[in-house]
Amino acid sequence: MSIVAQLPVLPIVMPIMAAPITLLLPRGRAPHLWACLFTWLTFAACIALFREVAATGPISYALGDWAPPIGIEYRIDLANALVLLLVSGIASVVFPFAYRSVQLEVDQRQTPLFYGALLICMTGLLGVTITGDAFNVFVFLEISSLSTYALIAMGARRDRRALTAAFNYLVMGTIGATFFVIGIGLLYQSTGTLNMADLAQQLIGQDNRMVQAGFAFILVGMGLKLAMFPMHLWLPNAYTYAPSAVTAFLAATATKVAVYVIIRFFFSVFNFDFAFIGAAFTYVLLPLGLAGMFVASFVAVFQEDVKRMLAYSSVAQIGYMLLGLSFATVEGLTASLVHIFNHALMKAALFMAVACVVLRSGSHSIHAFAGLSKRMPVTTWAFIISGLSLIGVPLTVGFISKWYLLNAAFAAGHWYAGFLIVASSLIALAYIGRVAEVMLLKEPADDGKFVLPKEEAPLSMLVPMWILVAANIYFGVRTDLTGDIATRAAEALMMMAGGAP
Amino acid sequence: MTGALDLFINNPAVILTVGALMCLAIPRHLASPILLIATAISAVKLYTLGLGNYGAVSLFGETLTTVRLDPLSRIFAVVFHIAAALNIIYAWGQRDRAQNFATLAYPAAALGGVLAGDMITLFFWWEMAAITSVFLVWAPGTRVTYLSGMRYLSIQILSGVLLLGGIVLTFRETGTLDFNFIGLRDDNGAIKFSALVMFLAFGIKSAFPLLHNWVQDAYPKSTITGAIILSIFTTKLAVYSLARAFPGTIELVYIGAVMTIFPIFFALIENDLRKVLTYSINNQVGFMVVAIGFGAINGAAGYAFGNIIFEGLLFMALGAAMYRTGTSKATELGGLYKTMPLTMGLCIVGALSISAFPGTLGFVTKGLIIDAAGEAHMFWIWLTLLFASAGVLEHAGIKIPYFTFFAHDSGKRPKEAPIGMMIAMGASAAMCLGLGFFPEPLYALMPDQAAIAGYHPYSAYHIVEQLQLLLWAVLAFAVLILLKWYPAEVPSTNLDTDWFWRIPGRELLGWVTGASRATWIALWGIFSGRVQALMERIYAVHGPEGQMARSWPIGFMALWTAILLGLVLFLSFLA
Repeated sequence: MSIVAQLPVLPIVMPIMAAPITLLLPRGRAPHLWACLFTWLTFAACIALFREVAATGPISYALGDWAPPIGIEYRIDLANALVLLLVSGIASVVFPFAYRSVQLEVDQRQTPLFYGALLICMTGLLGVTITGDAFNVFVFLEISSLSTYALIAMGARRDRRALTAAFNYLVMGTIGATFFVIGIGLLYQSTGTLNMADLAQQLIGQDNRMVQAGFAFILVGMGLKLAMFPMHLWLPNAYTYAPSAVTAFLAATATKVAVYVIIRFFFSVFNFDFAFIGAAFTYVLLPLGLAGMFVASFVAVFQEDVKRMLAYSSVAQIGYMLLGLSFATVEGLTASLVHIFNHALMKAALFMAVACVVLRSGSHSIHAFAGLSKRMPVTTWAFIISGLSLIGVPLTVGFISKWYLLNAAFAAGHWYAGFLIVASSLIALAYIGRVAEVMLLKEPADDGKFVLPKEEAPLSMLVPMWILVAANIYFGVRTDLTGDIATRAAEALMMMAGGAP
Repeated sequence: MTGALDLFINNPAVILTVGALMCLAIPRHLASPILLIATAISAVKLYTLGLGNYGAVSLFGETLTTVRLDPLSRIFAVVFHIAAALNIIYAWGQRDRAQNFATLAYPAAALGGVLAGDMITLFFWWEMAAITSVFLVWAPGTRVTYLSGMRYLSIQILSGVLLLGGIVLTFRETGTLDFNFIGLRDDNGAIKFSALVMFLAFGIKSAFPLLHNWVQDAYPKSTITGAIILSIFTTKLAVYSLARAFPGTIELVYIGAVMTIFPIFFALIENDLRKVLTYSINNQVGFMVVAIGFGAINGAAGYAFGNIIFEGLLFMALGAAMYRTGTSKATELGGLYKTMPLTMGLCIVGALSISAFPGTLGFVTKGLIIDAAGEAHMFWIWLTLLFASAGVLEHAGIKIPYFTFFAHDSGKRPKEAPIGMMIAMGASAAMCLGLGFFPEPLYALMPDQAAIAGYHPYSAYHIVEQLQLLLWAVLAFAVLILLKWYPAEVPSTNLDTDWFWRIPGRELLGWVTGASRATWIALWGIFSGRVQALMERIYAVHGPEGQMARSWPIGFMALWTAILLGLVLFLSFLA
């Protein structure tokens, strides 16, 4: 039993074993270092896995040697290898970043719990992504969600509203998960299997009411988890009041994983022979994606709280992913996958910049950003560069996303969508520009309401943040890395779904 | 690493941008020297680079050329450097950080656009030019300028949106991102949609008729130095892009001809002399657009070069008067020649030059365009351009210096312009005259050397044609002044339209200008009213207190989920 053969299970087993041990460690530095170590190990395992999949094709791993479809199967192809890489990569950057931020924002006694929960949350997200078993998706989804509720609630030390935000998210998240499991149940009822590949086989020709209802429950349940407009209402508060490091991690990973699940079910479990898939693309994902892009962007423009503004921006960005998906073409699917990856890079960097500001000035109100370029130039420029990426300026990943999306929109014949994409990124220009203007040109107010930052954020935060900023540029220039992988993944998914190549 | 080095070090636009960013960090009193040094370094870089392509970047498997230095981009790059340096000297000692930043970042963006060898790079700098320039509109810091800046920004960004749309469409059609000749029509003579979108994007920035309002809306509201800088770059970047992508497009001839004529009417009745000059920008760009339509790239590039120098000189001279008196209204100026004789002299050089008097930069560059019109045997276009030239003499050549420095004595006795302004104006004037008498260095820069080789500006025909036109206009002006028929500072007076329009009569002229002005104001009012109402509506719904941004109770969220579930179930069953 070589370690290489067990590679697919390592990204799950390592962190889930490490998490309880975190609780036993003494308060202070130890839990943090322990958690960091395991995110890095996990990241390394995911890189190895990704290389393996890219070189040799999909990997199937039977958990406990119980052969699928009876046993649980981990199935990794390019699409989820990319998401695995993303989740573990973001974690390996955010975890080291978190230390100083958590010191300030979370009760000192809770730090072992905090890092334990964060590890579990990451494990859950990785598990949702890696598994090839529909019920296993639900289990891991609950694992990640439960720890997320706790993590958000830990923001209560700074702002009690974190408690209601966490509670609201708990209720909504539970509704979403319940819907999802109802959907799985209905599919199980009509096929007698939970393995995704087997489900796909058994579902052929079963276009009956039960399958249709199952599909509807899965779509709405996951739609809730990924904050599809208008079911996004839990997200702004959750992101705003969670500890800054948690926000950076969740914004970059949680909703992305949910989008991945939607893609997986649309393309690998169901297929284009089901008429409702086409209807869902045209009448649900397309209009709701477009509506989200605009409504959430407009709301972001008028926000006084930068964290909240970025949260609404996330809802808008999810709109782009759904839009790309709704074209039901290889180009559109590629655009969605690319944007999943790219948006994680920019949003994590932006939320990390906000975390730096919170550390030094104690607030994430836009007024706390006044004149920041003089006192925290390194943070300011990290924010501006990632902001440019969010807007979609060439030489950043944001532009790559926009390009693929535009290309997909025009290729699918949705001219208006192409122009709407560009138009909505102008709104992004408005809200990012507003913060940039305040940071660069405004003089800080002297009314004593906000602490003037005395120094730049510590290196332990700046370095991880700039790694992500650099990634924004690097992947903006080296498009072959994301673009090619996403195209190959999209082609494979399209083949499975039996759509036009 | 050489790649990155090539990308940043070998791009003059990046050098200028770095210079502009530096002045955000250094003490304010050092800003002007830093800006000038950055410009100098960039100019040296431009000179040492030589013709060729630099800064290749690979994107989507396509190679982007971030710097392309060929004869067409070179002449624009050279004059942009000259203009940037003159502006910095003119504004020497300016303390406002945002303005100092924009003074160089905005020319840098325009320069980057001109040097772009591919459409993605062009798009990048196109939007940067929009974003950096808006700081100049905002510089006075009042609510009026803020709103005006927002309008300006939205229109500029709209142009960028169209450009990006056009780029993607063109890329899908041709499979290349290189920025070269596009042409409005395909081989069968049908208009290409992709090209039309790009054409419109360029059209907005070059202020085609009906798309021009942003110029008069934003430019005169800026600061003294801001207006000068704004007047130069955006429209010339658009002229360059048109010259690159759409030379020989016959539609441009008609569009340009309208552009040369219509601003004259508005300029005549305008009391604010800075606004008169913004109309003059439209008119001048019109000449360049006509030249592009004829495929006379030399004419377009040469006239853009000349115009940047002499139009800038007029803006500077008027700016100096405004700096000393605090106003640019014709009714409040006048008689300044007594205490500002040097500024007056330099202003007149600019005025002679824009009117294309022999011996000035205007003469040696405008002749290229008028000739092209004559050679194309389009009589009406040729006549229109002559009319328009006379109109230039009136509104820019005579009106500006006359009402600023002569006319009725306003009683103001300001000091002569400060030394920085003096140097900048002096250098501009020297170029107007120097290149006017010895145009060879300018002609050596021309993009189409084959066409310029046999061109002699000082042929008898050119001089006689131009002098006749000018002398008649000046004579009429002199006669009217002597007879005291030339009413001073009444906004709707005009000498040469009076002269040309004798048969239809002054009433018709007045009626036409009045009616079209009223239409414009009404249309603009409706448009901006709608925009305002729309913004208020958006704010009401999406603002912090709006329905979309509120923290709704859980029940409401759950309700939405239920509604959506119902919808999806319905859809699935139905499908």
